[in-house]
Amino acid sequence: MKRPPMLMHVKIRGERRGFGLWLPIFLLLPLALAVFIILSPLILIAILVFWPRGWRKRALHIFGAAFEVFNSMRGLKVDIQGDHHCIYISAV
Amino acid sequence: MAENKKRVLEMLAQNKISTDEAYRLLSVLETEGSAAEGTAKAGTAAKMKSKYLRVCILSGSEHEHGGKGDRVNIRVPMALIRSGMKFTSLLPPEARDKVTGALREKGIDFDMRNLKPEDMDELLEALSELEVDVAGSDGETVKVFVE
Repeated sequence: MKRPPMLMHVKIRGERRGFGLWLPIFLLLPLALAVFIILSPLILIAILVFWPRGWRKRALHIFGAAFEVFNSMRGLKVDIQGDHHCIYISAV
Repeated sequence: MAENKKRVLEMLAQNKISTDEAYRLLSVLETEGSAAEGTAKAGTAAKMKSKYLRVCILSGSEHEHGGKGDRVNIRVPMALIRSGMKFTSLLPPEARDKVTGALREKGIDFDMRNLKPEDMDELLEALSELEVDVAGSDGETVKVFVE
């Protein structure tokens, strides 16, 4: 079982200004769950509408793959530095 | 290995060596065989341990001016590549045809429909041996490797 990333560090610096951000993903996950529960009636209606069109299997696959991609993000690091700009993204 | 064992047995049959000598030779051959197997297993384990794909690009000016210049350092977990590749199976058939057509226009005869999950596993396993090291004339370097 892969562990999802707990924190994400984003740092962007331009010529004049820049900012750094530590995103506590472990705190956002319960929030996402709450949003999912709130939206669940709409999701249920969408499933019923698209059921006859055969979209159910594809939608389930997309959800599964997206969840797996999210869980595999731990360890990702993107560090791009130029003379006047810098982009740094790291999933811990 | 089997060849050597056969040769030892032939020598025994021709009375060139005694039973004790044949036994000793066969024991040595078996020990060597298990050691070689162990090394191969260790190699496979090392391959399986490779966790990240690294891409490092340093511009020429960085070397010349001591730290100033463009620098790209990317570390992608292999698990992310593995999961991302699963998305190819979700591509609609029309999109796949477009990709195949675009690749063919560039002279690459590759059909995405033929890409199976077992092929992907083999491809990712082979990636562990990948190492690209390019050094330009202006001092820029590009390194792609798996660690």
